[in-house]
Amino acid sequence: MNSSSTHFVTSRRMGIYEPLHQISTWGESFKTNGCPNTSASTIAELEAKLDNQSEDTSHGTPGPSDKYDQEATKPVDKVQRRLAQNREAARKSRLRKKAYVQELESSRVKLMQLEQELERARQQGLYIGGGLDAGHLGFSGAVNSAHTKNSAGIAAFEMEYGHWVEEQSSQICELRTALHAHISDVELRILVETAMNHYFNLFRMKANAAKADVFYMMSGMWKTSAERFFLWIGGFRPSELLKIQLVFLDFVFLTEGEGRLGVVLVPQLDPLTDQQILDVCNLRQSCQQAEDALTQGMEKLQQILAEAVAAGQLGEGSYIPQLATALEKLEAVVSFVNQADHLRQETLQQMVRILTVRQAARGLLALGEYFQRLRALSSLWATRPREPA
Amino acid sequence: MHQALPYRTWVPTTGGGSSAGPSSATIEPSDGPMNPGVGMKDVTCVTKMVSENAVIVFGRRGCCMCHVVMRLLLGLGVNPTVFEVDEEDEAAVVDELSRVIAGEDAKEGRPQFPAVFMGGQLFGGLERVMATHISGELVPILKKAGALWL
Repeated sequence: MNSSSTHFVTSRRMGIYEPLHQISTWGESFKTNGCPNTSASTIAELEAKLDNQSEDTSHGTPGPSDKYDQEATKPVDKVQRRLAQNREAARKSRLRKKAYVQELESSRVKLMQLEQELERARQQGLYIGGGLDAGHLGFSGAVNSAHTKNSAGIAAFEMEYGHWVEEQSSQICELRTALHAHISDVELRILVETAMNHYFNLFRMKANAAKADVFYMMSGMWKTSAERFFLWIGGFRPSELLKIQLVFLDFVFLTEGEGRLGVVLVPQLDPLTDQQILDVCNLRQSCQQAEDALTQGMEKLQQILAEAVAAGQLGEGSYIPQLATALEKLEAVVSFVNQADHLRQETLQQMVRILTVRQAARGLLALGEYFQRLRALSSLWATRPREPA
Repeated sequence: MHQALPYRTWVPTTGGGSSAGPSSATIEPSDGPMNPGVGMKDVTCVTKMVSENAVIVFGRRGCCMCHVVMRLLLGLGVNPTVFEVDEEDEAAVVDELSRVIAGEDAKEGRPQFPAVFMGGQLFGGLERVMATHISGELVPILKKAGALWL
């Protein structure tokens, strides 16, 4: 077809999403016949749109643009140049994207290899890493088998925890979607059970890791900085958990004096019944009491440990026997981490028992998002703009 | 109980208590209440203590978990009796307690420390105490055992 007007009419009927080769034939005849000025901008628009479309579908073919680069006839000079630049930019963008994807894929392969290595090493107990406690009194040489097993246990925990957080994020999304979509109670219950089991899995993971390195657990090393600020025996305070839930569900606690709580009721979609309010208050009190008992036990342990470390003459320079005694006492720290997690688990379960399915779903969503926010806060803090030194 | 009275710690003494079991053959003259470790221990008093006390906690000496249980019970207004077990007596005490428990549904046989007895029966360890407290069931049980009045 040689008539530009014929081509032009045909193009108009084509619509936006014609394949690229149509442009080339169209453009060529267009050039040879000269350009009716009125249609220049429209054509340019169409071209631009088609260009974008081609970018999205990642056409790698540079064919048409070559033809344009070579032929620069006067009346459409600027238009042609702009189109050529567009095409160049698009191609470069495609190439960059390709390079990035390739990088990602090779990183992924590397990661999988590392994970496999780790698993192998963990089983053999030969992982050399951490080096947190190396060199003290020769207790842990660099390749001490027990030391490396502990490091491997912690490394495995950190990896598992990474997966746990990812899974948590997707569960939170699902909960949010489900609650907005008003799905049935039966389906909501499944989501609630899943979320609960996910927490229980975490407690199981922590129990195993505590056997490897309880000080790591007590310091909350796997958590982000803001989360660590609120640390209580290797995790969040169960009583805080309830406060989060209640602020979200119904209450704002005003004062707490002499065991009485002042409350303000904020109307919600499905507010708590009087019985529920009573039950939640009781739960909060029981939780606080249990928490206090554990805290006091922990303080006693610290006192005992300090006394064991300080036993005998300080300043003489020999202290192996004292440390041997102290080492025995440290076993108790593992019990504390386990008991604290047990309390968290029981509190969560009782909370869910008191609430309806929908309330529980909202409560778990609130809890999950709260921790997401804390983690985000940690990131923001770490990357906050600072004055140059 | 509106005031928290200090808990009573009971340390086994040789030939102590009024029970004269076959193992209390050695009687040390003028031994004070804090004189453990001499001769055979009379641990049959253990059975007596379980039946005489509304709430009694058996724990190893210096055990912090035992301390946690005590603090929790104290916080609820209970006066638990605490029986601190020395390392050398541990086996004997566990044996005795197992005998006490036998007859009820034997859970894994031997009790673990800290072991809480209520109303003459084994209640459980720290975990059970925590769990029942969170679920709201502990206080009624304590009242039923006579450890709490309201």
